[in-house]
Amino acid sequence: MVTRRAALCAGVLAVVFCIQASAWARQNTVEQGKKLFEGMCARCHGFDGTGSEGPPLNRPNLERAADDRGLRDVIQNGIPARGMPRTRQLSDNELRYLMAYVRSLGRVASTPHPGSAANGSATYNKLGCASCHVITGQGGTLGPELTSIGTLRAPDHLKRALTEPNSALPRGLLTVPGRGYSEYLPVRVVTDDGREVRGIRVNEDSFTIQLRDTSNKFQSFRKSDLRQLDKQFGTSLMPSYKDRLSASELDDLVAYLLSLRGAK
Amino acid sequence: MRNIYILLLLGCLATNAGAQISYDRIRRSDTEPGNWLTYSGNYQSHRFSPLTEINRQNVARLKPAWVYQIRQPGLIETSPIVVDGVMYITEPPSTVTALDVHTGRSLWTFTPTVPRDVKALGFPPVNRGVAVLGDSVFVGTLDAHFIALDAKSGAVRWNVVVADNKLGYSITSAPLALDGKLIIGVAGAEAGIRGFIDAYEPESGRRVWRTYTVPNPGEPGSETWGGESWKTGGGSTWLTGSFDPELNLLYWGIGNPAPDWNGDERPGDNLYTCSLLALNPADGKIKWHFQFTPHDVHDWDANQIPVLFDATINGRSRKLVAMANRNAFYYVLDRQTGEFLHAAPYAKQTWADGIDPKGRPIVRRGVEPSTEGTLVYPSLQGAANWFSPSYSPQTKLFYQAVREMGSYYFKGEAEYTPGEYFMAGGERALNGDDAFGAVRALEATTGQLKWEFKIQSPPWAGVLSTAGGLLFGGTDEGNFFALDAETGKPLWDFQVGAAIRANPVSFAIGGKQYVAISGGNALFVFALNP
Repeated sequence: MVTRRAALCAGVLAVVFCIQASAWARQNTVEQGKKLFEGMCARCHGFDGTGSEGPPLNRPNLERAADDRGLRDVIQNGIPARGMPRTRQLSDNELRYLMAYVRSLGRVASTPHPGSAANGSATYNKLGCASCHVITGQGGTLGPELTSIGTLRAPDHLKRALTEPNSALPRGLLTVPGRGYSEYLPVRVVTDDGREVRGIRVNEDSFTIQLRDTSNKFQSFRKSDLRQLDKQFGTSLMPSYKDRLSASELDDLVAYLLSLRGAK
Repeated sequence: MRNIYILLLLGCLATNAGAQISYDRIRRSDTEPGNWLTYSGNYQSHRFSPLTEINRQNVARLKPAWVYQIRQPGLIETSPIVVDGVMYITEPPSTVTALDVHTGRSLWTFTPTVPRDVKALGFPPVNRGVAVLGDSVFVGTLDAHFIALDAKSGAVRWNVVVADNKLGYSITSAPLALDGKLIIGVAGAEAGIRGFIDAYEPESGRRVWRTYTVPNPGEPGSETWGGESWKTGGGSTWLTGSFDPELNLLYWGIGNPAPDWNGDERPGDNLYTCSLLALNPADGKIKWHFQFTPHDVHDWDANQIPVLFDATINGRSRKLVAMANRNAFYYVLDRQTGEFLHAAPYAKQTWADGIDPKGRPIVRRGVEPSTEGTLVYPSLQGAANWFSPSYSPQTKLFYQAVREMGSYYFKGEAEYTPGEYFMAGGERALNGDDAFGAVRALEATTGQLKWEFKIQSPPWAGVLSTAGGLLFGGTDEGNFFALDAETGKPLWDFQVGAAIRANPVSFAIGGKQYVAISGGNALFVFALNP
């Protein structure tokens, strides 16, 4: 009897141990994944996966990574059309850790963004944002297209882009000129004959530079014909709306931008 | 009638005799500048053309003469060989094509059967060129075969397996043709191969010798590997070496150790990875070695071109070999003895406090790859890579296209599975406006900067210097350009429409000089506009 009870106790203990061990292993896997995430992913997706220049991942459903196969594919191959690079070569273990961490982000409740998209749309029109930004084919082209901006950026990043545009510049990964060149870089050139042109860099090589000037015309220069070539890194042509929007107007505008999730 | 046959026969013999590429012709390639007989132009790897028709005064009149579009899209890194009116190029992955140099029209094409599931682990499916010897053309293939072709027809003379592609062995570099021997190297360190250099008989394809770049247990250098790590130690030999006919020594750069970014399981210096080897071409015996980066954890292989030249140092005439290494230091060694003479950084580097008097780097603390990423200059792709430097005997300058870029290096798990990636980490490069490129002219004996020409982004194109006082180079944005070799002043440029990731060569037909470069999916050949 004593023996039986001891065996039962041992059995219960073993089960408890197994459950704890597997919980510990899961926790450990997630922790390992967090380390990998912070090294490779956090720069764009935020340190806790809440997003930044890249979209937040603390959502129960990730459109491009609905199942494990999808998530594995996104991690290994990136999403080139959206500027997400593939990660470094990961071992099977490392991949498992990283996937476990990304999935754990979706289990934490995220607070919905406050504000009214409808009011935000009105603010967008009132401010004349369309003079520089395209949404579903309509608008000016001096600034980035916003048709899918809600799938690409996190709320905080959008807020920063509106209030401190110089600190939330699009880095660009794959579009022309590509490979991490600053996009929408303001440039001022002065030609040898004294003509001054301001615009946005569209392309550049070692001998030439192409701009879109402030009147939306393409201009091409040979660098050897320029007296001055001033690339204004760290600055944006976009004005700050910090003092022109109330806190609730800002929330509304961000809510509107977040609602832009691709052409219908 | 019979006379006609005899005449035809004699004609054939005469043509064939003309097409014979003897070792002696390659050895004296500087005496026939109209041809380009070996990968780097001569055995000393100068990538220098003695031709002068195109020069500082008239280079502005350079225009495309013809363009050849490759048939299978892919990265074209070929360095053409030009022999008696025929140009031999390779197209990705391992096709050989003979072109008429007057027009660019193809004369024959040979495409080996490369399996669909061929393994090219750690590099794109490219080929950098062929070797010619006798009346044969030789090519290494992506699936690690070595093939001899009849130079007139492209018919296969022999086809041998160098190593098992299923384990990650592959060939992307041009072979080197010596006196009665063909030397070939392999790629595959990112799959944990054990590297070697091979020599083959040109007539039969029989292997004459094999020298492993990671020693067997008990051999000299084996003490620099912990445990069983030598078995998967890497040490690829994926770029064509150089040769000194007088000293009868072959010089070959050796690749990185495996796994790349996690050195925990391979304690020690890991000889002969990241080294330059001097070998006796008769038997493959190592005469001397010099290791640039002991126990490398940044993938800074030494698969760059060793350049041979003679100069006077401290009043003493010396036979030298120089290399602008991937680790951002320029090295000068005595090529007879391997004695370290000098090193100087030629690009931004943050990993060493310098090089000690014996040539060993004084490595800084905290530069190892880590889980969270460690920022180090140069980047994984190095300050230099496979793209060729040039040495001009006129200016005595060593010209190098330089990549100015840093990387976050990540350390990962090392897990060896035969024929799979064995790298244990990776990088995230600082690119775009945070990086740039340059062509730099260095004093060949000291590495001291004479001039530089900045380019938009870190390049993948080699350089060519000419006796016309020019230096040709290319950019990733598609500019093919000529600089004044004395001053670096830009004199001419042409936009080819896609990234240039190849080495330029020059040749002449009937006294008219041409310059060739690959860019995008095409080969461009330029000549002076009349």
